[in-house]
Amino acid sequence: MNGQQVEQGADHFSRIKDVYKKMVEEIQDYAIILLDKNGIIRNWNKGAEKIKRYKDTEIIGKHFSIFYLPEDLAIQLPRQLLMQAEETGRATHEGWRKRSDGSRFWGSITITAVHDDDGAVIGYCKVTRDLTDKKMAEDQLRMSEERYHQMVAEVQDYAIILLNKQGFIENWNAGAEKIKGYRAEDIIGKHFEIFYPTADRESGLPMRLLHVARTSGRATHEGWRVRKDGSRFWGSITITALHGKDGTVIGFTKVTRDLTEKKLAEDKLAAYTSELEIQNRELEQFAFVASHDLQEPLRKIRTFAELIRENFNDEALAKNYFVRLETAARRMSELIRSLLNFSRLTRETTHFEDVDLNEILQDAKQDFELLIEERHAQIISGPLPYVSGNRLQLGQLFSNLISNSIKFCQTDPVIRITATTVNGNEITDAAPGVDDKQFFKLTFSDNGIGFEEQYKQLIFSLFQRLHGKHEYAGTGIGLALCRKIVENHNGYIDASSRPGQGAVFNIFLPCRQ
Amino acid sequence: MSTKKSCLIIDDDPDDQDIFRLCIRDIDPDMECNALGDSVAAVSMLSEGSFALPDFIFLDVNMPKLNGVECLKTLKARGAAGKTRIYMYSTTSEAAMVAQCNELGASGFIVKPASPVELRQILNSILNSANTSLENSTQQ
Repeated sequence: MNGQQVEQGADHFSRIKDVYKKMVEEIQDYAIILLDKNGIIRNWNKGAEKIKRYKDTEIIGKHFSIFYLPEDLAIQLPRQLLMQAEETGRATHEGWRKRSDGSRFWGSITITAVHDDDGAVIGYCKVTRDLTDKKMAEDQLRMSEERYHQMVAEVQDYAIILLNKQGFIENWNAGAEKIKGYRAEDIIGKHFEIFYPTADRESGLPMRLLHVARTSGRATHEGWRVRKDGSRFWGSITITALHGKDGTVIGFTKVTRDLTEKKLAEDKLAAYTSELEIQNRELEQFAFVASHDLQEPLRKIRTFAELIRENFNDEALAKNYFVRLETAARRMSELIRSLLNFSRLTRETTHFEDVDLNEILQDAKQDFELLIEERHAQIISGPLPYVSGNRLQLGQLFSNLISNSIKFCQTDPVIRITATTVNGNEITDAAPGVDDKQFFKLTFSDNGIGFEEQYKQLIFSLFQRLHGKHEYAGTGIGLALCRKIVENHNGYIDASSRPGQGAVFNIFLPCRQ
Repeated sequence: MSTKKSCLIIDDDPDDQDIFRLCIRDIDPDMECNALGDSVAAVSMLSEGSFALPDFIFLDVNMPKLNGVECLKTLKARGAAGKTRIYMYSTTSEAAMVAQCNELGASGFIVKPASPVELRQILNSILNSANTSLENSTQQ
């Protein structure tokens, strides 16, 4: 019984060993190899054949270093692995191996020491997996990730920034450095609201944008932003929420483009367009009033001509109508001449040079020598500055103002001309941005009839007259011309007066054009 | 009741005043025709009653200080026009301005013609049609 049992047991054991051996031999996905203690291959399974493409007959009896590449052999990798397995029981490694046909595969190996009953190493079991596909996929992914990081890092024209979910900066690229001026080490860890002007920060704009991105996935905005050096740029930004696997927001990417040049070009275009619109309106108005005022003397010429024909036999009456006809014709010429002067005064044709206003005044006095003598006029002036301007136009300006003062005066005219220097902020109705600019202020004051305060703007309009034609002659162009000249010089003109108290005209011309 | 009609021209241009009065005299020598050159003074005289309201007022548009449209507006606003018919009398017309004057209660808008013959015709038709309508209104 006992003997049978033992025999049965031994038989059973040997059967199991057979099955076990078969199992190892049949495994296809793992190369399972038995090495003797010197590393010589003693056993070979189907998996080994499939992975390494040797038949058992070709390979059994060879050293396992046959699978290794020359560079691994040079550092004695097979020997080291065996030694490690001998000392610690086990060695693992991953690396390129070669097959019988010379092709390569990525092998993941484990070498396990096999011991006898006394604990001495009698051989090794080597298990190899072919992880080539996995390795390739990993490499692909890693390379793609590296390329992607490289790309983001090197993009110059876009600031691409990673924000955490509170809006603190976690990552920074070359474009961000270029656009915003901060180096990565200066800025990582700071909050992205640092790029916003104070007013936007105070109004909560940055956090509002994050909120929009958080709730709707994306937020876009255009506006002025601040660089490290405090200068501003016009940024066009997109903030996109990044979501974790569970759908919660884990952070944001923020892409910023510097559109300053585009913005400035757009602003310039808008300014140009509005300037054109203003000029267009002025031109329409000009055409209308010009035709109106030119109609008037022409109509009179025709009327008086007809009246002369009707009253041809009444010599005294006809003579009277002739005089009036001639007056109307003269007025017509005068109007056309002034209108021509006025329409020639475009900014584009204004040529600037250094002009001595003392000289300009001297010339004007000479032109009015007769009138000044006739009217017993006095012109009292202090020293006047040199300005950058157009000699002819400034001469016209002085002439118009002086002749105006003499004309609208019922006693002996006294005209005072003085000059001082003022800041732009002392000019009422000055354009924005000239507050810090320096201006020469020329003041022409007279003792004439003056005008009521309410007309101080109106007097500079084309063809605007405050007096009936029978009281004071004139075309209504003189002061409009003055204003246009001053505007051509980027300056301002204003007037103040009270009836009977004389008038004061202030002209502001920039010290530097 | 006097049948003698009266009219007033407010125009700062002395030539235009003379031409207008000449034409009125040719149409109806009996009509009383006055001229004022200063629109501000004219409006205050009319609204204070120191100048008796005429049957017709002819208002130049382009005048210094207070232009014709402003005169019309002021007279109507002060209720100083009474039964007086006010006609605008201007060198040029502009659709928007004509519409504004109509709205303000002007009876018509005359563009100053270049010929006295034409002006007489225009004035004649205004004075005559006004005659008829005035009679109509007294009948009612």
